[in-house]
Amino acid sequence: MSLNSEKWTPETIRALIDAENGALDPRIYTDQELYELELERVFGRSWLLLGHESHVPKPGDYLTTYMGEDPVVMVRQRNGSIKVFHNQCRHRGMKICRADCGNAKAFTCTYHGWAYNTAGDLVNVPFEEEAFSGFKKEDWGPIQARVEIYKGLVFANWDPEAPDLLTYLSDATPYMDTMLDRSEAGTEAIGVMQKWVIDCNWKFAAEQFASDMYHALSSHLAAVVAGLPPEQDLSNYEPHMKGHQFRSEWGGHGCGFYIDTARGSVRVGPIVDKYYSEGPAYEKAKERLTPLLPYDRMATSHMTIFPNCSFLPYGMNTVRTWHPKGPNQIEVWAFVVVDKDAPQEIKDELARQNVRTFSASGVFEQDDGENWVEIQSALRGYKSRTAPLAMQMGLNVQGKNNPDFPGKTSYVFSEEAARGFYSHWARMMSEPSWDTLKPQS
Amino acid sequence: MSYDLGLKKGVVKGMEVMELIKPFKWEESSSSLELQHEIEQFYYKEAQLLDHSEFETWFELMDKDIHYWMPIRMNRVGREVSQEYAAQGKGSHYDDTYETMRGRIRARVSGVNWAENPVSRTRHLISNVMIRELEEPNTYEVASSFIVYRNRSERQSDIFPGERRDILRRSEGGLGFKIARRTILIDQSTILSNNLSVFF
Repeated sequence: MSLNSEKWTPETIRALIDAENGALDPRIYTDQELYELELERVFGRSWLLLGHESHVPKPGDYLTTYMGEDPVVMVRQRNGSIKVFHNQCRHRGMKICRADCGNAKAFTCTYHGWAYNTAGDLVNVPFEEEAFSGFKKEDWGPIQARVEIYKGLVFANWDPEAPDLLTYLSDATPYMDTMLDRSEAGTEAIGVMQKWVIDCNWKFAAEQFASDMYHALSSHLAAVVAGLPPEQDLSNYEPHMKGHQFRSEWGGHGCGFYIDTARGSVRVGPIVDKYYSEGPAYEKAKERLTPLLPYDRMATSHMTIFPNCSFLPYGMNTVRTWHPKGPNQIEVWAFVVVDKDAPQEIKDELARQNVRTFSASGVFEQDDGENWVEIQSALRGYKSRTAPLAMQMGLNVQGKNNPDFPGKTSYVFSEEAARGFYSHWARMMSEPSWDTLKPQS
Repeated sequence: MSYDLGLKKGVVKGMEVMELIKPFKWEESSSSLELQHEIEQFYYKEAQLLDHSEFETWFELMDKDIHYWMPIRMNRVGREVSQEYAAQGKGSHYDDTYETMRGRIRARVSGVNWAENPVSRTRHLISNVMIRELEEPNTYEVASSFIVYRNRSERQSDIFPGERRDILRRSEGGLGFKIARRTILIDQSTILSNNLSVFF
């Protein structure tokens, strides 16, 4: 990787994040040149969430998505593996596949008719014999990405030097498992991607899911009202106070969760809440997960795997990639996962509750969209970009680590995971080699 | 008519996605001028309620078995065009019952739904109203086109075009009809706004 930027040196990039004192330089959200570097150094080198393996169950099943701003195709192969390759013909750069998803025997570029098999090999060039001499099709297939799956979630990485996915996930996996490994049957995705556009920098969304239970108390009051039984209102609703935040040892991942409280029928409705709080599925999850962490004490939870994969365990179960579209815009690509062996009525109800809560129309999510758009709008200003933003919550707060939970934990209302997220961002942006970047054992 | 809506069981089924890609099944003979007028006026009044933030009154137009549904639309190659719409339960922008709609309305009028406070300016334009009388007495399937415009904050503006496929039942009092089913065919695959905090 080259580290050539006239404007941004490793030193000036590192100075943008003051984790020690808890301050952020707002230009990380707005600067076009930093954004171009992010595409190369963050999105070009990180493991990125593309979807769930159940999105492509049969050979030839595909979905098209993005790694950073690069279009890619994710295809199930005949041998059961999944390949991910650049959705771009190497001839004149046309997209090879222009549908969102489907099943294909081959992909044919509609511009000049170059055809690729489902593995991404260039297999037919029209008039190859008549018009070319010595053209080597094997040299002109689309660029292939590395693919690895963690308990159903499909990740891909452009960088051959990057550590394997499990190393990359560091000590975050027990918290991922609270959503992905409740049953030996694993999970499945319900339905297709929901996509919408928010005019904000991708880091606002990713950081919030890593590190921000705090905002829910103010941002999501209306969503609480929406989920309360008709006879109850905010005057007799007690917000949760107890919980923890997790900051991964390496890699910028983060998670927050309430403990020792009801799981949250306000968020998921009484039927899904019951499924996650009692009965055989809950007992099985408790038995499987207790060796990793005290699952029976955990409730509503949020999580981000750096850089732009986020999800909400405990029955909300929305999973999304925040696709960057320039420094000032994202597309949210969201889907829902559920225990594969859950009863059909639970799957149906969970899907319906998800649309009600965490979707473009969701009573929670619509207010997030409002916040991020207004922040990005304010950041057009000169003063807005030069005055640092505060990220001090949890600094010098002692005694909040809970040894009952794995990894480094702090109080549920903290910015420890945000400091981890941005510190890792600064490292990815300023360190050219995985020799220094990778976890040092 | 073999088109089973499940009305007799008191449950309005969601529409089959195959129905959604086809044109509305209009009547051979046009509906009566009076009925056409009544239903168009109902829609104009409904639009007034939505565009003037009378959400609780608007909610009174919903029948108890309402299914308020906006399926996700996908870009599909021609041979798979029948799968353009996500089937019910397989991906929606709205998938609401009476109870969940009541929650949405409570949120909207709570004063703390920040996505709509300060309030947006909206305009619901309803046209292309076509009516088919169903076997069930006083029950109509109605197709209409809409353009919903939203302007909020200083400069945000969103345009949501689409089509509604409704089941309307005549009712005593109120505005004369209840909405028993509303299927919203939004003319966007990726929703081109920061949220869908508007009703259709």
